[in-house]
Amino acid sequence: MTKKHAEYLVIIFFLMVIGIVFQQIATSMTEQGIASGTPYDNAAAYPRAVAILAGALLFVAGLNTWRERKIPTPLSISQMRRPAGLIAIFSIYLLGLGTLGYHLSTTPMLMSLLWVAGYTRLVWALIYSVCLSFGAAFLFEVFLNIVLPGGFLRLNIAW
Amino acid sequence: MLLDSLSSGFDLFFTPLTIGLTFSGLLFGLFVGALPGLGPLMGIILMLPVAIGQQPIAAMGFLIAIFVGGSCGGSISAILLRIPGTPLAAATLFDGYPMAQKGRAADAIGIAITASSLGGLFGGIVLIFLAPLLARFASGFAPPEYTMLAITGLTAIVVISGGSLIKGLLAGCFGLLLATIGTDEFSTGYRFTFGTHHMLNGFHIVAVVVGLFAISEMAFQIMRKDLTTKPNIPMVRANFGAIVLTLKHWVNLLRSSAIGAFFGSLPGAGGVISSFTAYAAAKAASHPDEGYGEGAEGGVVATESANNATVGGTLVPSLALGIPGDASSAVLIGALLILGIFPGPTLFEQQPEIAGGVFLVYLASNVFLLFAGILTTPIFVYVLRLRKSHLIPAVLLLCAIGTFALQASIFDLWVMLTFGLIGILFRAANYPLAPVVIGTILGPLLENNYRRSLLISREGHWIFLDRPVSATLITINVLLIAGAIWFAIRQRKKTAATKEP
Repeated sequence: MTKKHAEYLVIIFFLMVIGIVFQQIATSMTEQGIASGTPYDNAAAYPRAVAILAGALLFVAGLNTWRERKIPTPLSISQMRRPAGLIAIFSIYLLGLGTLGYHLSTTPMLMSLLWVAGYTRLVWALIYSVCLSFGAAFLFEVFLNIVLPGGFLRLNIAW
Repeated sequence: MLLDSLSSGFDLFFTPLTIGLTFSGLLFGLFVGALPGLGPLMGIILMLPVAIGQQPIAAMGFLIAIFVGGSCGGSISAILLRIPGTPLAAATLFDGYPMAQKGRAADAIGIAITASSLGGLFGGIVLIFLAPLLARFASGFAPPEYTMLAITGLTAIVVISGGSLIKGLLAGCFGLLLATIGTDEFSTGYRFTFGTHHMLNGFHIVAVVVGLFAISEMAFQIMRKDLTTKPNIPMVRANFGAIVLTLKHWVNLLRSSAIGAFFGSLPGAGGVISSFTAYAAAKAASHPDEGYGEGAEGGVVATESANNATVGGTLVPSLALGIPGDASSAVLIGALLILGIFPGPTLFEQQPEIAGGVFLVYLASNVFLLFAGILTTPIFVYVLRLRKSHLIPAVLLLCAIGTFALQASIFDLWVMLTFGLIGILFRAANYPLAPVVIGTILGPLLENNYRRSLLISREGHWIFLDRPVSATLITINVLLIAGAIWFAIRQRKKTAATKEP
């Protein structure tokens, strides 16, 4: 992957954002009657103006990217394995957080992240993950009165 | 007005909670500053969910102290490892590291902490005197002036902070669009909510900021090869003799602090520019025998006093106008808004005790820095031995629990992760992230005042040119953008000329 690829991806992302702005103005905002009228009633004029400005800037950015020579970026496929692993582990964690709860899902998530980061001493990784997970839960639940997700077992520690 | 706000702020400041949180924030700031890859912005972001559950002045004391400690902490790794903990400390290694090589690491760290503290106090004096004056000047502003002020704030940050103008403006536009998500204040209609109740108030700013900065930073950190290595650093113990060493360079200290406070008050300039400028000025004014670049005490004094004075300067436009000077102050403004405090001229008129409280926590942070920083040096030297592989999961866990704690919502965690991916993409394509946050913070100010201007105008958009302050701000914006375009064309021509055989 080169910097140019990343720039094209950002351009596609901005095209999607601008597309959503116009799609929502044409549908949802028109249906609500907030896409026209005085500055008081017209809630669409400002996002439309910003989207048009973004579109003009995007055109220039696209031209610049197209004219730019291919510049290698520090991101190679092999280097991207670790960040991809981090995002994957975190996504799985979020998927399971509601069902499994904080205490059942956090320690495996932390251990997996340690493994992805290259730390392979299993016992120490387990001890570190358990201490970190319960230590953070203690701080947030006791000092900030936060109730962390209990999951299907309703696992909440009464500290 | 000045004494009134300070004296009314005393009651809010002198509580065990505020003093305790300010002290804790300072230690946490030194911790995140010392660790390469984190820094004050990351520290503020990580602790934002904790802070917004507290009373306003205690919360601001905590966050401002992280800003102060984080701006200084980077010097420890710059001096000992030759790796600046934060970009703010990049200029400190010019003389700090050679001092350590000569066996004067303790002196270098002591001087860095003392200069940071005294520079920060200088920035505090500038803040206390300048912010109310600026607020008084701005108290006569009407919606057209606020509209142009918001645009100027965003443009200045994009132009002055360097990088691509187009990319910076695009990122700013993205932030402005993000701010429109939710219920419209005027028509009470729903915009970009896609029929879900989660988005009726838009995305939570903390989830957006944590994702953009913290998650993307960790994704880039995890690519490093030295994650499991443990640096071998000798123990260093700074002492109060460093105060005398620093005060020997009092002219340099005052000059550098003034440079820092000046650059801080300009939106977009920030601590990196001020520390390099202060270093250049100190070097130019020095005697050749001082040996700048070879371990001169004056080099450390200049860079560290400048980058901490910048913090005070940055808070001037943030508090007086509600216009952030950089990403860190944008997050601080976001915290104030969440706490129900609206920075700007009305803050000084209607809630002088809050303004006074903020001034006091800022001053207290710098006083704590001097004593706690010097006494706890061995702890932060020990912190540098931490393995990155252990730090990344801890940061991610803090991000997750902190973001969940905002509204006890897993939706916020998905927002955080999504913005983490956007942050990774933006970083990979060299798009700056700060304008996104600043656009999100300034978005409501801009849109509300833009629409109010049009409502009171009889000639449509001409109202912006009819009013002198607004017209001046338009001129400044045009000059800033024209200057940036001219500079970019000149740079491109220079690059093309050097490539030709």
